[in-house]
Amino acid sequence: MTPPDYSHRHLRLGWWWLFVFAGLGLILETLHGFKIGAYLNVSNETRRLMWRLAHAHGTLLGAVNILYGLTLRGDNPPARDPRTISQCLIGASALLPLGFFLGGVEFYQGDPGLGILVVPVGAVLLLAALFLIASTMGKSRPPAPRDRAKIR
Amino acid sequence: MSKTLVAVIVVAVVFAGAFGDAVFREPSAVVREQAIQTRPIQHPADGYASSDGCQACHPSQFASWRASYHRTMTGVATPESVAADFDGVTVTQVPGHPMRLERRGRELWAELDEPDWDGTGDAPPRITRQVVMTTGSHHQQIYWYATGHGRLLGQLPAIRLVADDRWIPRRSAVMHPPNIPLVSESGSWNAVCVSCHTTLGKTALGTPWGEQPLFAQRIDTTATEFGIACESCHGPAADHIRANRNPARRYALHLAGSADQSIVQPLRLDARRSSEVCGQCHGLWEFYDAAAERAANDSGLPYRPGDELTKTRFIVQPSSNADSPTMKRLLAEDANFVRDIFWSDGMVRATGREYNGLIDSPCYRNAKDDQHRLTCFSCHSMHREPGDQRSDREWADDQLKPQARGNGACLECHAAIGERLTAHTHHQQESSGSSCYNCHMPHTTYGLLKTIRSHQISNPSVQASLDTGRPNACNLCHLDKTHQWTAEYLERWYKTPQPASMSDDDRTIAAALVSMLKGDAGQRAIIAQAFGATAAHQASGTAWMAPYLSLLLNDSYDAVRYIAARSLRTLPGYETFVFDFVANDTDRAANQRRALGLWRDMRNRDGRPADATLLFNRDGSFIADRIDRLTNQRNNRRVFYRE
Repeated sequence: MTPPDYSHRHLRLGWWWLFVFAGLGLILETLHGFKIGAYLNVSNETRRLMWRLAHAHGTLLGAVNILYGLTLRGDNPPARDPRTISQCLIGASALLPLGFFLGGVEFYQGDPGLGILVVPVGAVLLLAALFLIASTMGKSRPPAPRDRAKIR
Repeated sequence: MSKTLVAVIVVAVVFAGAFGDAVFREPSAVVREQAIQTRPIQHPADGYASSDGCQACHPSQFASWRASYHRTMTGVATPESVAADFDGVTVTQVPGHPMRLERRGRELWAELDEPDWDGTGDAPPRITRQVVMTTGSHHQQIYWYATGHGRLLGQLPAIRLVADDRWIPRRSAVMHPPNIPLVSESGSWNAVCVSCHTTLGKTALGTPWGEQPLFAQRIDTTATEFGIACESCHGPAADHIRANRNPARRYALHLAGSADQSIVQPLRLDARRSSEVCGQCHGLWEFYDAAAERAANDSGLPYRPGDELTKTRFIVQPSSNADSPTMKRLLAEDANFVRDIFWSDGMVRATGREYNGLIDSPCYRNAKDDQHRLTCFSCHSMHREPGDQRSDREWADDQLKPQARGNGACLECHAAIGERLTAHTHHQQESSGSSCYNCHMPHTTYGLLKTIRSHQISNPSVQASLDTGRPNACNLCHLDKTHQWTAEYLERWYKTPQPASMSDDDRTIAAALVSMLKGDAGQRAIIAQAFGATAAHQASGTAWMAPYLSLLLNDSYDAVRYIAARSLRTLPGYETFVFDFVANDTDRAANQRRALGLWRDMRNRDGRPADATLLFNRDGSFIADRIDRLTNQRNNRRVFYRE
């Protein structure tokens, strides 16, 4: 069985995420441009905040996925199992913007809707992915000649 | 980086998020206020938290409150909050020497004659004081300076008339008799304004009011918040805020749709209790005894939203408690106590007492159940409703619900009348005569240099007009008609019995003119304002009005002159008429002659009114002897409204 190409998967996901959530930004600008009350009225401040957060998180997570995909193609990719990191990153990329978006669809005055409940899950997945990447970044580098001698 | 270090960082971030309020508490606002020694300060206590904590969960309610005049009822004087220019301005509209205003950076200062002059020496000394507080922002703005004695405030002798963008003497802004001695208003903010213009204000005078000179005692006035803020109507909120920091609690309430018992929601109270929330300030009340007053001095008023209002204060309601021991005591202390606020039948005639009118209304008293009982919230909404297209300013003007701007509020109960509106009103559907308010809540209450609607629902009654002197709704629009005319129509249309007897004047002279010429200053003000109403112009014509309004331009009461001039400017040909109601007698008389001259010119050009009801002879000249007789019969009683 051919091992999955994580680099390609995350590059592809990242660019699509950038496209989708930059598109959401355009939609939000349109709502501003036409002064849509459902988005701009003071009573909808929570929705405005949530959708802006969805836009920002989705776009930034797109960039993170691209960075991760490029990192995997480098000389010194993270040493940990890329499958776990990939699953965490994809989960975070889905849950964070989706949670914020849903939190703004239905909301309770200053409290977002129940969709917000998936945001902490996404945040934990993101932190886990980032930790796994950061903590093993560069550890797969082949030992220097001097170290090789020590090993012997 | 070690895993332990990463774990510590993660835990710290989560902890800071959960307990951020404690970790990142901003000390500035509270500390800044407590450092101030020369004016009342804002100091949340006794379970109050101030509106700062409300916005995060209730953004739209917070925003509409921010837009309301309740918020700006009193506040700290800053270059942004004052409605007047203080930058090197000289104000001449004051007793004594002119007052000088200046800005020192962001501070506002005034140089004025000492209002608390003890009479020694030839003239009051000049004092220079920092202006630290304001009261009002909508119609008028009053300014308060730091006296330098504790937190005691003194009042500038001139106020800003916001609509006219001008200064006027403070006493000209109220309906007070002319030539009464000037009294210092020092301490009025601390002892009077604080109770209703702030949230949980505490006067904190060292001794009961009047017992010792103000400048000889401790004055430590504080309030939870300046202005009428969230907790004025919802009660103390510290526990509510604390409880709702827990998201699980909030979502449990959201999902269950149940009421949060940690805070008062006036709309969920029963009709009586909910109206009492407004009545705590929009009603005339007194303490039951000196001990209660003293307790409130130290701890603030004991009433909390949801409480029974009469448990802690006496609601002055002549129609129901005129013979009570408390009322007798109050009348013994001040015989004019009731007369200065109420018509002789017990209906309120001074503004700010709408609750007294409400609870005497049949729609409140006689409601078959709580669902049908008229409350303040039947017409008003303290928060702008979603979908309300009005601007903030338009909404804030009267805080009426959108549907209450027409007949909607009344027709919720009186739907049958709405189905046959013109049969009931005998006026055209869209005319002012088919407005429920105009007939059942006419402008017979006075305050802030204008008249407002009576908040006691009533039916037009000539008998009541004859008994009390209060103009009836019909004759406030049909200014050219007699009481006899009105009585006949009320009998024909509504089977209202005609008064048993009526004077010759009431039968033959327009009721508005009888009130204007014979009435007291309060009646004259009501009639003068009615002369400026578009509906009255349409119903009564305008060609005859100017000379009568001109008569009032030299009225002895400043407020009557002001209203007469404002109404005069609504008449054709007077749109640009300039009249200074606080000018000296000579200038006022000259302007009065000018107004009459304008009318004569128009009369000669457009024709002469020749209606005896309006006191004109057939040749258009005045029936002078009748006018003189009515004027000589004028009710010159002292009118002193507690606005």
